[in-house]
Amino acid sequence: MNDMRIIPQDVEMADVKISARDVQVYYADNHAIKDVNVDIKDKTVTAFIGPSGCGKSTFLRCLNRMNDTIDICRVEGDIAIDGEDIYDRRVDPVQLRAKVGMVFQKPNPFPKSIYDNVAYGPRIHGLAHSKAELDEIVEKSLRRGALWDEAKDRLNEPGTGLSGGQQQRLCIARAVATEPEVLLMDEPCSALDPIATSQVEELIDELRENFSVVIVTHSMQQAARVSQRTAFFHLGNLVEYGETGQIFTNPEDPRTESYISGRIG
Amino acid sequence: MTDATAASTPPEREHVSILTEDDRTRRRNAAEGRFKIYGLIAIGIAVLALIFLLTSVVSKGAGAFYQTYITLDIELLAEKLDKNGNRDVDEMKKVSTFGYAPLIKTAMQKIVTDNGIEIEGLAKPETLISKEAAAQMRNFVLANPDVVGETMTFEVLASGRVDGYYKGRVTMASAERDKNISPEQLQLADAMMEAGVLETRFNWNFIFWPDASENRPEAAGLGVAIIGSFYMMIVVLVLALPTGVAASIYLEEFAPKNWFTDLVEVNISNLAAVPSIVFGILGLAIFINFAGLPQSAPIVGGLVLTLMTLPTIIIATRASLKSVPPSIREAALGVGASKMQTVFHHVLPLAAPGILTGTIIGLAQALGETAPLLLIGMVAFVREFPAGPPEGFFDPAAALPVQVYNWTQRADPAFVERASGAIIVLLIFLVIMNAIAIILRRRFERRW
Repeated sequence: MNDMRIIPQDVEMADVKISARDVQVYYADNHAIKDVNVDIKDKTVTAFIGPSGCGKSTFLRCLNRMNDTIDICRVEGDIAIDGEDIYDRRVDPVQLRAKVGMVFQKPNPFPKSIYDNVAYGPRIHGLAHSKAELDEIVEKSLRRGALWDEAKDRLNEPGTGLSGGQQQRLCIARAVATEPEVLLMDEPCSALDPIATSQVEELIDELRENFSVVIVTHSMQQAARVSQRTAFFHLGNLVEYGETGQIFTNPEDPRTESYISGRIG
Repeated sequence: MTDATAASTPPEREHVSILTEDDRTRRRNAAEGRFKIYGLIAIGIAVLALIFLLTSVVSKGAGAFYQTYITLDIELLAEKLDKNGNRDVDEMKKVSTFGYAPLIKTAMQKIVTDNGIEIEGLAKPETLISKEAAAQMRNFVLANPDVVGETMTFEVLASGRVDGYYKGRVTMASAERDKNISPEQLQLADAMMEAGVLETRFNWNFIFWPDASENRPEAAGLGVAIIGSFYMMIVVLVLALPTGVAASIYLEEFAPKNWFTDLVEVNISNLAAVPSIVFGILGLAIFINFAGLPQSAPIVGGLVLTLMTLPTIIIATRASLKSVPPSIREAALGVGASKMQTVFHHVLPLAAPGILTGTIIGLAQALGETAPLLLIGMVAFVREFPAGPPEGFFDPAAALPVQVYNWTQRADPAFVERASGAIIVLLIFLVIMNAIAIILRRRFERRW
């Protein structure tokens, strides 16, 4: 009997990458995130959807402690990655962020060469011990970012000279270069045209093989296309969380249904 | 909704041709035209003022770069310069510049007779020679004692009056009333110029020689002032740039936002507005009276100017740090860079052009600053060149703007030309510094 109970638990633990319990976020006196409980699975794309200002980006930024950089922001509750509390006093956010990569809304390549953009993370984390190793990491990351073919002949040109979609893929390549376990994406396609968007979406689908991807998006179609699980946020509450198909076809909560059918938001 | 209401009540508007301007458009265009004219007038006034300033300074100061020289063949008589005949420098030092004057007198009379110059009423032809000539000769003889007894050719300065005659400052009429020069002597100068022993040419000595006393403006140069200013700029750069940039980075990127940092910020802004003479008093009280550093020394001047320049550098640096887009910081933090790595790898290089510009503007400000230097004794008359660095930082020196101030205080009109010449040199240095700022900024901007 005991054995039988332990085995399913182990499976459950391996499956869940990030678990959040009773997370509250305050900006000064403003209660931005209320009682959020969520389990994000490994090797899955999880989409956060919701109207503007509902707290989905705020919650995303809690997952790699990016909110630490905002003085007035206060986070309560437990967020654990692989069972380890990331808000523990012993956790160095710098170390955490190497494990939890992030791609931002606006493409923000460093004003350096394409090569240096990708190589920066591995360099500061000491992932490469020789130039050859670093070259290898850069190539692998650019391939994962689906940018290698376009960029291989211009690695020394500035990353800021690329087109918007290429820049965003460069940022993704930069994020995966440090071999993170989780990749957070904050509306990665909102500044891109439809073609670049579809390229990035394809890329996200491929990234699922190696990473747990969490994506915040305004576009419900995008959430439906790329994600396996979807969380709907509204006014700082996590309203509903489940299989993407189920959320979009058969939501349990009336608010989710209203949002999906376009009546709120 | 809006469409529906618009359709139900179609607006009754009379047809207005766009081929003719209506009243409102005409008024707006007129206002715009007036505004442009105001702008052009303002720019015109500024440009005129600048042109006036530059022509005034250049026309007055250009003369300082030209100087009248006389070629003299001087017989260095042994009985005058070395009475014991043993060529002992220590003994020869006892002969002061007065001992050399008769030699110059003889040489001048020789020129007059050799060239067959006959001028009625000519007296004391040696007045044409600068008083500096005797000193120049004495230094030469003491450095080369073996030349005594020989006849040597010297190029010596003509006196300030003769020099002024060729620059239009002195005329025959003014020489009538001048006890330092007579019209006959000026005629002699003309005759000597014809004979080729007197000429006007470019005056490097203005840049390399030290200041000279009241009655020999022709020998006054900027050498000590340039070195003093250069030393002070080194002190300011070495002290103010690292301190200022470090303080700005700490305040902008690391400091917690609380009442203390607010207080520091307000005070830095206030310091930038403190009159420079107050910094001079501070320097006098702290660096000279309390710390016991020497007066007139570039190190003290540099320290005072550092205090003055720091707020400028801090304000410029903080502004350029602030202007670095936050997305770059987020990008760096997002790949797991620490705060310090973010600042030093990404933010600082992007802010560098702004920091450089601020620093060079601060330095240029410091280079032209006069008031605080007067208080710490840089106004002293210094003829000795300071030693090489680092000891030279503690030797007395002058500074360029103080030299200008000094020369404008002197009575001889020849110093007006010197002062304007010094202003030209100062302006050239400022232009060079600004050019360096622009070049560095371009280069950095191309890299990023």
